[in-house]
Amino acid sequence: MELHELSIQETYDLLSSRKISSEEITRAYLERVQRLDPQIKSYVTVSEGVALEQAREADKRIKSNESLTPLTGIPYSAKDSISTRGVNTTCSSKILENYKPFYDSSAIKKLKLTSAVLLGKNNMDEFGMGSSTENSGFFTTRNPWNFDYVPGGSSGGSAAAVAAGLAPFSLGEDTGGSVRMPASFCGVTGIKTTYGRISRYGLIPLVSSFDTIGPIARSAYDVSLVLETIAGHDPKDSTSRVESIQSYSETLKKAENLRGLHIGIPKEYFVEGLDKEVDASLRNAIKQIEGLGAEVIEVSLPHTQYAIPVYYLILFAEASSNLAKYDGVRFGLSKRTGDLMDVYLKTREAGFGAETKRRIMLGTFALSAGYYDAYYLKAQKVRTLIRQDFERVFQTCDALITPVSPTTAFRIGEKVTNPLDMYLSDVFVVAVNLAGIPALSVPCGISNGLPIGMQIMGPHLSEESLLRIGHLYQSQTDWHTKHPPCWNK
Amino acid sequence: MNKKSEVQVDEKLVREIASLARLDLTEEETRMFVSQFKDILDYVSILNEVDTEDVPPAYLSSANKSVTREDEIEAPVATAEFLKNAPQSKDDYVLIPRVHIEQ
Repeated sequence: MELHELSIQETYDLLSSRKISSEEITRAYLERVQRLDPQIKSYVTVSEGVALEQAREADKRIKSNESLTPLTGIPYSAKDSISTRGVNTTCSSKILENYKPFYDSSAIKKLKLTSAVLLGKNNMDEFGMGSSTENSGFFTTRNPWNFDYVPGGSSGGSAAAVAAGLAPFSLGEDTGGSVRMPASFCGVTGIKTTYGRISRYGLIPLVSSFDTIGPIARSAYDVSLVLETIAGHDPKDSTSRVESIQSYSETLKKAENLRGLHIGIPKEYFVEGLDKEVDASLRNAIKQIEGLGAEVIEVSLPHTQYAIPVYYLILFAEASSNLAKYDGVRFGLSKRTGDLMDVYLKTREAGFGAETKRRIMLGTFALSAGYYDAYYLKAQKVRTLIRQDFERVFQTCDALITPVSPTTAFRIGEKVTNPLDMYLSDVFVVAVNLAGIPALSVPCGISNGLPIGMQIMGPHLSEESLLRIGHLYQSQTDWHTKHPPCWNK
Repeated sequence: MNKKSEVQVDEKLVREIASLARLDLTEEETRMFVSQFKDILDYVSILNEVDTEDVPPAYLSSANKSVTREDEIEAPVATAEFLKNAPQSKDDYVLIPRVHIEQ
């Protein structure tokens, strides 16, 4: 068995019994990245020097048996919107091409504290704006299952790296499906956490009221190991949740069945436009979950069809405000020409890609005098109704199951000329961000060589229960153990 | 939302918004945005169907109240490290473009 095929727990067992060193496993991953990533393009930065230094630190720590956790000495990667001290953090935007943060995000800091090893930063749609990574300011990441297809977005680089065995896990970020959709398209497991469960400190914002960091890994169990390390209250993020976190992995070890659990199937997610194979895979998966003892009931989320317009209107508005700081004055790209206004105009025109400009424009419009009530305020009101839909069903259900996406991955280039068509591919994932609830994406089938994903949503702070459902499902099925052709290369 | 149907999306409007957003759009981008904006604004007008008469807006994603924390002194960032990200610097300062005030 090759090193990249081991799960986090298996790798850690070898590390802690000193059958292998962190430096050896880190070198093995770096070598794989060097060999395979020129084709897949999941990394925008490979931080080889930092990785080897951190691996040696981890090895010292393991040698002296100094407060080890299952992530000590384990390599990982992170989406390029998550700040890493001294390592380029670009959001895959030309405007931040040479930006090196002088501090770590809280999530990265927690991984450092346990001596996990940063391999590098993953490609994404610029600032998280997209569903395919085609909007990256640098290059498009390819789906490891078929290089002609997109990996999903915006955390496409993270999901592709995990799927291709170029990292055991990656930190993604989910604003409107950006962890779940690529996880589904690439056949890996990813969680969108409850808003505030993982500190956003040092996460470069897209939509401050939607953004959440979420781990992507090869199984619900591996996800639980990462989540319990990086979740929790942070005084540096005023929206961070104060509730204590559980040891998710301990819960999973003890999980036996799903008896007593009520799972809702929202009928609005099984409608026309849903690919037949996706539909069939989901129905199979639901049967298996029923077989584990859960009671399955049909429910309704009547405002589902409004989630996309609400999501995009709020996104346009908040993103245009958040991106106002890229002005060429204090950091990032700067076109020093003419007077101050010229610097603003030329810097932003040269630094932002087409989709980013489009969304800044739409947000500026939606927030401008005379249109605020009609667009932004209206969207925030309908958002309340969508949130109430969820509150209502969670009175009778512990979790909901839906597809992550109506189809499997689409072809590179298929949707780039039609932005609205691209927006519609997010139809099943954005409502979760509007409500701030968590949702897990787990592989549940393959169609024409491309993975299918199941979404398990739950009420606020139900990560433990979602991971338990995902883990028990994975203990009965082998979809998460299937790998793309490049896995064995 | 009724206002939406009155919105005339044309090159003039797109240029006005671009100026507010500090984007120096090319002619080609301006033309492309006109047609795409029409599609997108048409699409979001579906929200007109929803009665939101007595519905409050949902501004916060969690029920958290404003919170404060102890103001603890941490090691400051070295000026030199901070200045590495500045497009231009002089001595210990970030050099910014001249602020030109039109008469």
